[in-house]
Amino acid sequence: MLTSEANLPTYDSSRPRFPILEDARELVHYHDLLLSLVRRDLTVRYKRSALGFLWTMLNPLLTMLVMAVVFSTAFRFPVEHYPVYLLSGLLLWNFFSQSTTIAIDSLVWGGGLIHKIYVPKAAFVISPVLVGLVNLLLALVPLALIMFATGASFSWALLYLPVAILLALIFALGVGLFMSALAVFFVDIVDIYRVVLTILTYLTPIFYPENVVPPQYVSFYHMNPMYYFVELFRIPVYLGRIPEGYLTARAALLAIGAFILGWWFFTRKEDEFAYRV
Amino acid sequence: MSLPTVSNVPSPARSSANVIRLGQVSVRYRLPHERYATLKEHTIRWLQRRVQYDDFWALKDVDVDIAQGQVLGIIGRNGAGKSTLLKVISRVLRPTRGHVWVRGRVAPLLEFGAGFHPELTGRENVFLNGAILGFSHAEMERKFQRIVDFAELGDFIDAPLRTYSSGMVARLGFAVATDVEPNVLIVDEVLSVGDPAFQRKSIERIQSFRAAGTTILLVTHSLETVQRMCDRVIWLDHGVVVADGMAETVVQEYRNQMVGSESIRLAKAVGPTESQRWGDRQVEIIQVRLLDGQGEEQTVFETGDSLVVQMDYETNTPVPSPVFGIGIHRHDGLHISGPNTDFAGLELPELKGTGCVTFRVPNLPLLDGLYYISVAVHPKDGLVMHDFHDRAYTFRVINVNGKVKEQYGLFSLGGTWKHTPSWSAPSTALEAPGSSRNGLHV
Repeated sequence: MLTSEANLPTYDSSRPRFPILEDARELVHYHDLLLSLVRRDLTVRYKRSALGFLWTMLNPLLTMLVMAVVFSTAFRFPVEHYPVYLLSGLLLWNFFSQSTTIAIDSLVWGGGLIHKIYVPKAAFVISPVLVGLVNLLLALVPLALIMFATGASFSWALLYLPVAILLALIFALGVGLFMSALAVFFVDIVDIYRVVLTILTYLTPIFYPENVVPPQYVSFYHMNPMYYFVELFRIPVYLGRIPEGYLTARAALLAIGAFILGWWFFTRKEDEFAYRV
Repeated sequence: MSLPTVSNVPSPARSSANVIRLGQVSVRYRLPHERYATLKEHTIRWLQRRVQYDDFWALKDVDVDIAQGQVLGIIGRNGAGKSTLLKVISRVLRPTRGHVWVRGRVAPLLEFGAGFHPELTGRENVFLNGAILGFSHAEMERKFQRIVDFAELGDFIDAPLRTYSSGMVARLGFAVATDVEPNVLIVDEVLSVGDPAFQRKSIERIQSFRAAGTTILLVTHSLETVQRMCDRVIWLDHGVVVADGMAETVVQEYRNQMVGSESIRLAKAVGPTESQRWGDRQVEIIQVRLLDGQGEEQTVFETGDSLVVQMDYETNTPVPSPVFGIGIHRHDGLHISGPNTDFAGLELPELKGTGCVTFRVPNLPLLDGLYYISVAVHPKDGLVMHDFHDRAYTFRVINVNGKVKEQYGLFSLGGTWKHTPSWSAPSTALEAPGSSRNGLHV
């Protein structure tokens, strides 16, 4: 039963630590935990529904239909192929807002386990974001259908989408890690974050075209990080071209910055979670 | 909160005999002075420079070395730091100060069902739980069949967990947690669930770990289990190790000390809370007293003592001949006894005003443990309840001076033993011990 002495893992609480690196290594070691959590969330979500995974595709489609009808009749935005414009923005926004909202709650929710057993805690935060990613990828199917139905063109620029999605993923991970660590210490962070998200929904060009923003506010408008991620995703789909380099550069800067900040803060505070949650 | 500091704590020697070394381990919980867990409040207080904390040391300078293969029991009252000690060893909690060194894989026996999801099947839960314990999918595939066999789940393994009985969940949890071949097994109050057959199986598995050299840390309120299973016992009180040594000695010391302090603590806890009490209150039980043979109020009894339960009642309307009863439960919920006036053939008259009903046990047969008493008054047909206090009264039974020396099980049957030798010739004395002439084993 006992493995040979040399192979035994040893834990020494007084060894100097570099959590920012060690936690990454632990997460790699526990990669099956991450996959299991993702699998659990996906299975649980679709197990008892008749349409199963179809919901992921139907849901944005139905929301988009409602909004398309509302906004194209009530507000009459002069946007060509409005359903494609709307759906492309909506999918990326939903990915970000849903996955980060769930991620923030996850530590407080998963607190039971954190108290009983050693696990790399970041797995609880990362898995809902990966679940969101799976949902986003599935939702590309209805997007393609809508593009086809409305006669939008499919261009080579669509090959840029993996880059747009990857950057949005990294950004969402960073925000999720940072906010979830903060939420352990302050319970009202979750509510504050929801309010901020609601405000951002209207400050991001999702269902209206950017040109309705008065020119004097444009520079302020561009301070919203979500603007870049939505644009990177939408431009190849809707305009059929590769986004400008400066857009990609800013988005990459934001994503990597958010991720490093989130990972640093999370791993720095991780030891205190079990004291607080 | 600062990161743990290690200054002036000598690094323990990596002696091969020890698998766990704790050097001056302290754990501090900071409890905010008042509860202001929101950012808004915290900011306001911080601006007013009024963030204050109450420091609570769950462990204070604990020095313990645990050798490989030891079965170590940790005892102490609630809040003494037992669970915190386990958390520090299992890496859940990093100590505020001091030094923890553990060699080998540590497996906590999770509370049954922790980490399980009701919507997933047994199979999916096994893999999820294995992942939580740090195993890869491939490793779990090798273990899977063994786990299912041990848990005796059969075809249920592919049914959602919500369709399982609690016993099945317990079996699955135990099977996953103990198929890990740990070097250190941590058992925190989980052995008292499941049906008796499975409990025996669990104990056997733990015994086999022990035989194979696994170090076992055991926290339980059952001093009987501690005495039976442990080589060594640590007694914690307010985060400090007050005794450390042979199981028998430490447990006995602990019992002696409890006689004094426990009665004071329990005496305060008497009386039902709102959620423990229901009934239409046509008759109310207004006071309950537990008395010893001398008529003194007591909360600690010894096996063989007299126990008297006195119930004062008051009627709000005249009530025709109700039934008074009591229920006795062990701390883990086992219902031990439920006597009432009706079973005993005592017919009460119509009750008006106030009075007292007494239940007397001349020789308390219960052994060492914590017990709860419920009291009830209801009409003879039992269709409604006048007043019920659910497990609102506590008493402890302790064997100190040893009128009854029995240790195992729940109570003393008060039986007697006799030995009748059937041989007298000196030649039979050469027979091997254990062989018997009465024909049963021949």
